[in-house]
Amino acid sequence: MPSKLDPLSVPYRVGVSLSRFGWLLVVGTVSAGTQRLPLLVGLFGVVLLATLAYQVAYVRRFSYELTADTFDVYSGVFSRRSREIPYHRIQNVDVTRNVVQRALGIAELAIETAGGGETEATLQYLDADTADELRAALSRRKRGETEDGATEQTAREREALFSITTRELLLLGVVGLDLRLLSFVAVTLPVVLPSVSEATPLFDLFRVAPFLLAGLAVLALAASMVQAVVSYYGFELHREGDELGYRRGLAKEYSGTIPLDKVQSVVLTENMLARRLGYASVAIETAGYSPSGDSAGSQSAVPLAERDHAYALAQEVEAFGDPTFDRPPKRARTRYAVRYALAVLVVTGVATAAVRLVEFTSPVPTATLLAGLVLVPVAAHLRWANLGYAVEEDHFVARAGFWSRRTQVVPFYRTQTIAEQATIFQRRRDLASVVVDTAGTHGWSAPSAPDIDARRASDLRETLEARLQAALRARRDTVESAVQRIDSDTSGEVDSDTPDDRGGHDHGDERPPE
Amino acid sequence: MTTETPDRQTLDSGVRIVWGVGSLVGAVVLAGIAGAVGFATVERILRPAGVTFLVAAVLGVVYTLARYRAWWYAVEADSLHLSRGVLTYVHTVVPFVRVQHVDVSRGPLERALGLSSVVVYTAGSRGADVTIPGLTPERADRLQQRLKRLAIAAEGEDAV
Repeated sequence: MPSKLDPLSVPYRVGVSLSRFGWLLVVGTVSAGTQRLPLLVGLFGVVLLATLAYQVAYVRRFSYELTADTFDVYSGVFSRRSREIPYHRIQNVDVTRNVVQRALGIAELAIETAGGGETEATLQYLDADTADELRAALSRRKRGETEDGATEQTAREREALFSITTRELLLLGVVGLDLRLLSFVAVTLPVVLPSVSEATPLFDLFRVAPFLLAGLAVLALAASMVQAVVSYYGFELHREGDELGYRRGLAKEYSGTIPLDKVQSVVLTENMLARRLGYASVAIETAGYSPSGDSAGSQSAVPLAERDHAYALAQEVEAFGDPTFDRPPKRARTRYAVRYALAVLVVTGVATAAVRLVEFTSPVPTATLLAGLVLVPVAAHLRWANLGYAVEEDHFVARAGFWSRRTQVVPFYRTQTIAEQATIFQRRRDLASVVVDTAGTHGWSAPSAPDIDARRASDLRETLEARLQAALRARRDTVESAVQRIDSDTSGEVDSDTPDDRGGHDHGDERPPE
Repeated sequence: MTTETPDRQTLDSGVRIVWGVGSLVGAVVLAGIAGAVGFATVERILRPAGVTFLVAAVLGVVYTLARYRAWWYAVEADSLHLSRGVLTYVHTVVPFVRVQHVDVSRGPLERALGLSSVVVYTAGSRGADVTIPGLTPERADRLQQRLKRLAIAAEGEDAV
């Protein structure tokens, strides 16, 4: 029996599409003046009616159904589409509610699968409770339980993992500040300002600059804090069987599930400030869309937690042990120094040329930019010092970045392709990089071991390949033994010990035990 | 599955023509730009354009030959290996379990020269597809079939 969307979706959807046309209306009114007002009102009426009719039809003709193996969605007003999503292919399920939706008591539910970059199915909108129930039902189906029989087979105890404290929430605002932006402003202001104050002697901007800078910093900090509070207010993470669940948000509420057996990688991020303060954030990458489809950068599973706690949480998802990182050889550092020195030279050159072209007398000769060369060794060392990779028992761990240090943990089992590469500059120093590709979808660079010794790079490539095959064999063995267990169980009851058939669900559907 | 000896396969020599034509086209474009710049600055077209074309064409031909010599692939026991690159050398490993699908594609120039390319797709997010160019159609079809069989045999039950 297919289910329908909530009737309250109609007014909300009408509102949304009208607000999209709103600017047209405003432009029309302004340009037409008052004489043609009746025409405009009439036109508006027509648009309103058409939208209403379309949205009523959309909501009426939209239905979904939980069948035995698939989640079916039938949609479309003019061209109909029916989509069947196999339960075991579902990655993330997210429920979001903004302020208006909360007032109306409706919610949006989005289902992600690995295919494509787009959300596989979006239900706009369901009754808020129905949405939560549907998400729970999808989780149960994914685990292979049926609605009627063995619902309570696996004890689905809800284990709270993390909830954000007010302190952490405010710290998140501080840490979330883009340090690079601030330092850029701090460097450029003293260079640019004197010449501006020369041109407009009304204000001695040079003297105002420190205040300006401080004001800017405070403003940025406040904005960052507000953003942190709004998007991560009341953040909590819990574990329910083999899924993680989260809930967050002040005005717009987000909640959703992250399936642990679909995790592609776990990423720990600590920027410079967070490192100082002893905090880190954890992001969990699945092959679906980002867990909380927000702007890039705020897609963490745990936005900010004390470092040890963050590591413990990451270990909960992927038990990667305590990696000891291998650093690239020292000659890689020379390479970065050369690269940064060239960058400084190029910037100086461009600045000089620009100053010549626009005939702008800069207060200090552009050649002073060459002073940046002093920073080159420091920068090169910091980059080098933060690089590292480790081959653990089941995981490849890569770490990089000074401003924002990222530790990416990839299970061997999730490797898609492995590439060993060396540019001519790398080969000159007998270096090479190994890049491990996964099916994750974040815009981050792939986990890699850059600029390591060329021979070690070849070894690493071979090791990673062998480890993947070993992981595949191990996975296959557990699946086969699970299948055999089910086979020998003639009564047909589903085996109740779930821990070791994490992959079994995925597999069982494609090769059903005969 | 029997362990195969990792035999390195080279591309069909005809691919040099495909690449060579590509770099000659690039040289012509560069020559055009050089001619335009030459006309704008010193009111001469032929000299700058000709010199640019010659230099670019020679470099292109040398690059093409080096590229052809560097290229090899091998169908090993568990994975497909591709190695290529002149300035940046890249060795990619594509495990059969991770293969999503395999295409055979033929561009117009390739068709004229009787060549095909095999494109192997994975679910990876960066550089998810790898191309093996310069294969005769029969060889491409054979490779496609073989990769398909190997991918199925590898049981990519959970490809992502």
